[in-house]
Amino acid sequence: MSIAESHLAQEAIAALVDGELAAGPAARAARHLAGCPQCRMAVQAQREAKEALHGSQQVAVPGDLVSRLCAIPFTADVPGSGGGLGSLSAGPRGLTVQDGGGSWEVDLGPQDPPQRPDHARWLRRGFVGALAGLGAGVAALALTLPGSPGTGGSGTTAGAEVRQHTEVVPPVVRTVTVGAPTTTTAFTGPGGTP
Amino acid sequence: MTESAPSPEVWVAPTWEQVVRDHSARVYRLAYRLSGNPQDAEDLTQETFVRVFRSLADFSPGTFEGWLHRITTNLFLDMVRRRQRIRFDALPEDTERLPGRAPSPEQVYADTHLDPQIQAALDALSPEFRVAVVLCDIEGLTYEEIAATLGIKLGTVRSRIHRGRVQLRQALAHLAPGRVPASEDDAVALPGRGEG
Repeated sequence: MSIAESHLAQEAIAALVDGELAAGPAARAARHLAGCPQCRMAVQAQREAKEALHGSQQVAVPGDLVSRLCAIPFTADVPGSGGGLGSLSAGPRGLTVQDGGGSWEVDLGPQDPPQRPDHARWLRRGFVGALAGLGAGVAALALTLPGSPGTGGSGTTAGAEVRQHTEVVPPVVRTVTVGAPTTTTAFTGPGGTP
Repeated sequence: MTESAPSPEVWVAPTWEQVVRDHSARVYRLAYRLSGNPQDAEDLTQETFVRVFRSLADFSPGTFEGWLHRITTNLFLDMVRRRQRIRFDALPEDTERLPGRAPSPEQVYADTHLDPQIQAALDALSPEFRVAVVLCDIEGLTYEEIAATLGIKLGTVRSRIHRGRVQLRQALAHLAPGRVPASEDDAVALPGRGEG
């Protein structure tokens, strides 16, 4: 009786290393490996590559990236491009977006129990409100403009050290994540502050 | 979590901040492993979360991580293809900025705690192989999940992972002779082999 008429397929070798072979094929593969140093080496090579990547898993996310991500509700275009924005309303704790498809809500309140004094919370609320107003204002501005992004000339105020995320973030709002919000409210005009 | 929505029609999302806190590390890690540098990783992460935010209303619970993987990897592959196209179109010299962004090995390690040589070996893989290997060996996805994430067949997943690992191991042998046995040839061509 012949033990192994052919070597393991490459796909089978990878699947074996990852435990992705069904019981039957896995048993056959094991029988083959017992008598085939060549395939054993191939399996070993796959294992080594896998283990090399297995090292450490932790990656520290840059802090400013996290705050930029948290600000996306204010900086990104919202869904409903068909009929414009629908309505976007900001409460003290969250943001509600309504369009033809229905309404949905993003709670922007901090998750952690409030440990800071009251005035800080109010400050935060005011800030959130200002940001939301800004976002709505910018979005409205973008809708009324005749389809030429960047004509607002706001790029110049964004500052030299601001990174290039122009695809994603309207330049006007980008300054919000970097500098003080009060400096930007001046030229967004119709956005208004609460 | 919140009980502010009276209508049963309305799906109440977790807070956006919570979404960011729960998932940004995973997305950023994946983006970093795929792109190999912090700038692209940040851009990819930002873009991923923008897409998430835009389609939050369509999200059905239970698939969130798969969703994130799919968006991130697709954005990465788009980015790579766009840059390849730019290169082939032979634009003038300002395209030189694109490849020049690789961080130093020390920076890579400080950022990711992944051996810079391994990250370099990963970067040397073709994007399709890299995605499959990273999703399997770093993110720990099953073949089926990878197939669903990338929209490819199971057999394709298997062969990409296999070939990706073969290349990875060869690249490691070149970068660090002696680390991996059974490779005699000594490539000198690769830059940045960590003399720090």
